[in-house]
Amino acid sequence: MSQPPPQPLGPPPVPASTGLSAWTLWRVFARSLFLQASWNPQGMQNLGLAYALFPALKALYPDPERQMAAVRRHMVFFNTQPYMAAAILGGVLFHESRIARGEEPPEKVVSFKAALMGPLAALGDGFFWLSLRPALGAFCAALVPLLQEWAAVLFLVLYNAVHLTLRARLFRMGLLLGDRLVEAVAHAQLPAWGARLRTVGAASAGGAVAYLSMSLGANQGGQVGNLLAGGYLGLGVLAYWLVSKRFGNYALLYLAASLAVAAGAFL
Amino acid sequence: MVVWSQVALAGVWGGLLALERRAFLQAMFSRPLVAATSMGLLLGEVESGLYVGMLLELYHLGAANLGAALPENDTIAATGCSAAAAGCALSTGGGGTPAMWALAIILFGWLGALGRKVDRWLEPYNTRLSRKAVAVADEGQLRRAVQQNLWGMWPHFLIYAALAGGCSVVGFLVGPAVSHLPLRLVRGLAWAYPAMASGAAAIAARGSHARHSAAYAGVTAGVVVAASAALLILRRGL
Repeated sequence: MSQPPPQPLGPPPVPASTGLSAWTLWRVFARSLFLQASWNPQGMQNLGLAYALFPALKALYPDPERQMAAVRRHMVFFNTQPYMAAAILGGVLFHESRIARGEEPPEKVVSFKAALMGPLAALGDGFFWLSLRPALGAFCAALVPLLQEWAAVLFLVLYNAVHLTLRARLFRMGLLLGDRLVEAVAHAQLPAWGARLRTVGAASAGGAVAYLSMSLGANQGGQVGNLLAGGYLGLGVLAYWLVSKRFGNYALLYLAASLAVAAGAFL
Repeated sequence: MVVWSQVALAGVWGGLLALERRAFLQAMFSRPLVAATSMGLLLGEVESGLYVGMLLELYHLGAANLGAALPENDTIAATGCSAAAAGCALSTGGGGTPAMWALAIILFGWLGALGRKVDRWLEPYNTRLSRKAVAVADEGQLRRAVQQNLWGMWPHFLIYAALAGGCSVVGFLVGPAVSHLPLRLVRGLAWAYPAMASGAAAIAARGSHARHSAAYAGVTAGVVVAASAALLILRRGL
């Protein structure tokens, strides 16, 4: 049976013929949201993966012996970025359906997981944890003085527009493409997008230092408002320098508070 | 006076957000900006939650859960501080102030570090669940085996619910005392909020993981300062 060619992340792929019902696929996807419910240092996401796959394995293997063997082969060590795990879950179903039909040996799905979890974790960590989340966090936090509580709503909407779309697409791509989803994920150029997003994060944080210093300083300082605004700005620059010299974050936070309390008490 | 229904609400929401952070969904409801704002909203003090959340979002911006590494628990820091700030504001009846937000962060900002210790402490329990699941699967009870996964959540819920609820109780108790503090100290606490926010934003710029982060942050800060100064001059001119 020939595999379809890889596709970029853009157009949604056609659902694969795994022999599983749409309801079963939906249950696997929904249960994958609990992937890290019992994260542990030994097997990491092993139990979460087995929990997510169980409805599909039950449907694919009516024979109890084969069902037990299928569940057991997914209780071994597994760890990847939780959103990118959707792609592996889809790919596992792709392979398990072929194993159930006798078209592949069971070792195939084990090597598929082992080969993909590392690279997908690196991609997902770099894009979601180190780029998208900090960029949107800094951007929306900087907008708090303007948007008030809507800044938090904006953060959720923007983040989840990317997160949920990618998660659902990756699951479907895994189902359709199996091993070849790596090529399709590579087309999305996540590292390049990540680098751009990190720039947004740094710029937003710089804007936040300046805006918070100026607006809050002017509002609270009364007659010494301008002096206070300048002081906060200087404190921001000093804080950046101290952090770059590996000064502790908590020490910095409490140092800033102590200086301000002392200034308020004695000025 | 402590409003126990509010304390219970803070506890339940704090516990649920602790689960969302890692065990379920991870749609970022547990990020400090959202967690603290929603806590403030639930307790009827949204402004306190929002400003506490903004500061802690910036402070914890660069933290990431990579592989087996555990970052500080930014969610309990946010839910604890916002519950305390909201309790403080509600007990005085006068609404939240920067002094109260600063006090809440000074009192409970370190909960992030405590949360990391708690998360680490709970790991052996999950390892035991994993081993039990394998043993139960070997006995042929597959459904029971995979459902061990869900048992990993309850200790997190209980511990973080208790912590968030406890913080709100402290907020309710500390609130009336704030109004009896010397005026100079209250002014100092009010000044501490923007000072900490400025420091947190600098930490965020550094934690953005961007190449040349200092340059990008510096240019934007310069633009904002210039625009603010121009606006000020225009207003004075008018």
